[in-house]
Amino acid sequence: MEQKKQNLISIGLFVALIILSFISIFIGVLDISLSGILSGDYYQLKILFASRLPRLLAILCTGVGMSIAGLIMQQLCMNKFVSPTTGATISSAQLGVLITLILMPSATILEKTAVAFTTSIIGTWIFVYFTQKLKFKDTIMVPLIGIMFGSVIGGFTNYFAYKYNLLQSLSTTFVGEFSLIIRGRYEIVFLIVPLVIIAYIYANHFNIVGMGESFATNLGVNHNLILFGGLSIAALITASVVVTVGTISYIGLIVPNMVAMFRGDKIRGSMLDISLVGALFVLICDMIARLVIFPYELPIDLVIGVIGSILFIGLMFKKLNPHSKPLKAKQKKETQAIGGEVNA
Amino acid sequence: MHSTKRINNRAIIVGLLVIMLMAMTCYQFINVNMKYFDFVMRLRSPKLLAMTVAAICIGSASIMFQSVINNRIVTPCLLGMNSLYILIHTVVVFVFGSTSTIVNNQNLAFILDVLLMGIIATTIYGYLFRKTNYNVLYVLLIGTVLATFFGSISSTLMRIMEPNSFATLQDSILASFNNINTDVLVMAVVLIIGVFATFWKDIQLLDVITLGRSQAINLGVDYDKTIQRILMSVTLLIAIATAVVGPISFLGLIIANISRQLFSTYKHTYLIAGSAMVGVIILVGCQLIVEHVLTYNATVSVFINIFGGIYFLYLILKTQGA
Amino acid sequence: MKISHLIKKYGEKSVVNDVTFEIPKGKVTSMIGPNGAGKSTVLNIITRLTQRDGGQILFEGKDIKDWQSKELSKKVAILTQSNNIQMKLTVKELVSFGRFPYSGSRLTEQDYKFVEQAIKYMELEEFQDRFLDQLSGGQRQRAYIAMVIAQDTDYVFLDEPTNNLDIYHASNMMKIARKLCDDLGKTVVMVLHEINYAAFYSDYICAFKDGKLHTFGTVEEVIQKDILKSIYNVDFEIMEIQDKPLSIYF
Repeated sequence: MEQKKQNLISIGLFVALIILSFISIFIGVLDISLSGILSGDYYQLKILFASRLPRLLAILCTGVGMSIAGLIMQQLCMNKFVSPTTGATISSAQLGVLITLILMPSATILEKTAVAFTTSIIGTWIFVYFTQKLKFKDTIMVPLIGIMFGSVIGGFTNYFAYKYNLLQSLSTTFVGEFSLIIRGRYEIVFLIVPLVIIAYIYANHFNIVGMGESFATNLGVNHNLILFGGLSIAALITASVVVTVGTISYIGLIVPNMVAMFRGDKIRGSMLDISLVGALFVLICDMIARLVIFPYELPIDLVIGVIGSILFIGLMFKKLNPHSKPLKAKQKKETQAIGGEVNA
Repeated sequence: MHSTKRINNRAIIVGLLVIMLMAMTCYQFINVNMKYFDFVMRLRSPKLLAMTVAAICIGSASIMFQSVINNRIVTPCLLGMNSLYILIHTVVVFVFGSTSTIVNNQNLAFILDVLLMGIIATTIYGYLFRKTNYNVLYVLLIGTVLATFFGSISSTLMRIMEPNSFATLQDSILASFNNINTDVLVMAVVLIIGVFATFWKDIQLLDVITLGRSQAINLGVDYDKTIQRILMSVTLLIAIATAVVGPISFLGLIIANISRQLFSTYKHTYLIAGSAMVGVIILVGCQLIVEHVLTYNATVSVFINIFGGIYFLYLILKTQGA
Repeated sequence: MKISHLIKKYGEKSVVNDVTFEIPKGKVTSMIGPNGAGKSTVLNIITRLTQRDGGQILFEGKDIKDWQSKELSKKVAILTQSNNIQMKLTVKELVSFGRFPYSGSRLTEQDYKFVEQAIKYMELEEFQDRFLDQLSGGQRQRAYIAMVIAQDTDYVFLDEPTNNLDIYHASNMMKIARKLCDDLGKTVVMVLHEINYAAFYSDYICAFKDGKLHTFGTVEEVIQKDILKSIYNVDFEIMEIQDKPLSIYF
């Protein structure tokens, strides 16, 4: 019975995604219509295949990829607040993009991705190394450290940008935007498809590794290999998005948490829902971004920034609610030293 | 042993004071062309005062904040006040245009900044603190999210702003010690004195607060109310500092921790005074380097971010080893 | 001190439900019970660390709520389990905090005398200039007790004082609690997990179960096979050692 209800939700999400995708294709300054496309109007088909369809595919890949990247990181770190944004992955990828801008201005997208991937995996790895060193892993302390570490990397990025007079171009490169997506310049995001499939296959492994090294070893799972592999997948997804679309924060943080609220924390099977919700979320935000100051459009990162922060704060309050179990147990334990237990 | 420790702390205070005064004198009088002596003096002293104001605000606020949360690797700058500052400026320029008095009159702008930041920040954070039952780490996380929220709104407005206004705006939202007029500084000093006078009693209770909630209540301190008032003064001090010099993020983390390392004591009189003085030394030192060695090829905030960042990583590693 | 009809709820669930008893003056009283029975919560409410949702706590004829916090801190002291201080604090400085309710941060000659006596009483002289984080768990616990002694209160509340201590330090701790009562005439109330410590070192026992007061009485009245069994759902045997009823459970 319960299973049936879950399936219905997934199917509903899927249908909604199809419908919205379809609508999304027809939003834009240049009018195209269904009849025009079906009748084979060359001009309209060109718009469809050169701009609208690539944009839609990029949106879907970004939504799915970033939410799965967030999910992987959350499982590996056993922390609901870790994500590419709060885990320094995005800021490291940005540093990588900047490095290519400085050292090899004529780099191809593939080369850019390679550099961004390298820096983002290093950054994420350092962050995870630090959190593993933390003796008392406070749920909130871990993402806070990630955010501060991220702003350290951001400080370096800014310094080099300042030095090489790239501040201006940085702000346009880094703000996530789908309006620049056209055929021939975005295909790197398709890397996300195989990566997400791998993530699906190894979902259980990530779960086990999140329980700790001894737990994983006991079950015969190579802890470090899976940890490193999982983080690499998340970093690669992030890097390909940062290179093609730009920075998009929050999806990896919010989507898995939202899905967990109506599905519970059982990861097995919820990955599909997370992917669907992620794609839907980005799609809806993109439509808002395109419509709010029509015929101009806002960068999607800004729309997600506003909607995402409100949603996230709502989520945090929900978690604080005395009816939710884990917090209640903590309250009862009642040391209450105002976060004082952090470094006990 | 007890008394030698106290003498030690006094000696460190005096040492810091001497270094600070030396740095300030050095800054004021280095490389002065005698022909323009008066002009240079008039140019430099407001900057010096601005740095002092910033250091006092950020230094004391950081120490208080850390003691309240009982955590040494956080700073009140994470509360998202910088983005709030940028948002306020963006909205003002957006609504009134770049030519209006409210944008161009520094005094008016400063009063508006402090007022708005003070009111908005105390309202929002006051609500958050109550809502989360004074779980400051939670509030910090929400603060970083709020920072993105404010940032996104400002960027959106900047996108649809006319280019002229944007240029004006960009100048006003970079942290800088240049072009600060004396009226603003006098107001800032008065405000700081006001904050300290109002919250003096609570600040004195900090020593007891660090014993933790139950011990503080056991000793007859109204813990929740004191915490509330201290956090309020932290918010106000950061608002003043930001309104004077613009957004600086890592400074508080560095100076508070250096002060804690210098004085191995729980006494907040030493810690706060030390933190403020270390702040002046670092700011003036960095400004000296930027002006005379790098000839303005980098900004102080870049310096502080990188230096502070590395120090921060070192702190994490070190505190975990202990 | 009279506690009547105390109630505390977290959301819908009530953690303390209509608890009524009187703390005998000048005696050692132990609160026992299974996990989650509400004993620590009751202790925290009595010492104003936690707000109550209903009921009354009369202390010297006045409800605890109506006492000035500062005045109360000259009469009642509480020591909880979680005492993590990040500050660099020496033993002597910690103990000096015990005089805070009387003189604030500026201590008088007389205050220093109290501090000195407390340190001497707890045999901490050789450690008095050490920082707290350089001490062992047992020494640190003693330093906190010294602070409570310097606070010079009639009532002392201890929340699981033997937690995280080995057998030697734990039994030492219990002897100190006994001495606080016998030598210094204080009323001592503590939450304990170990029934036999409670039986051996206290005068009265206050047993909780499911947020309710199960039994209150002298040690002999409470430490009985059937009473303990109904509290803990475990079989007990009671033996008499040095005139005290000790229990064995299995």
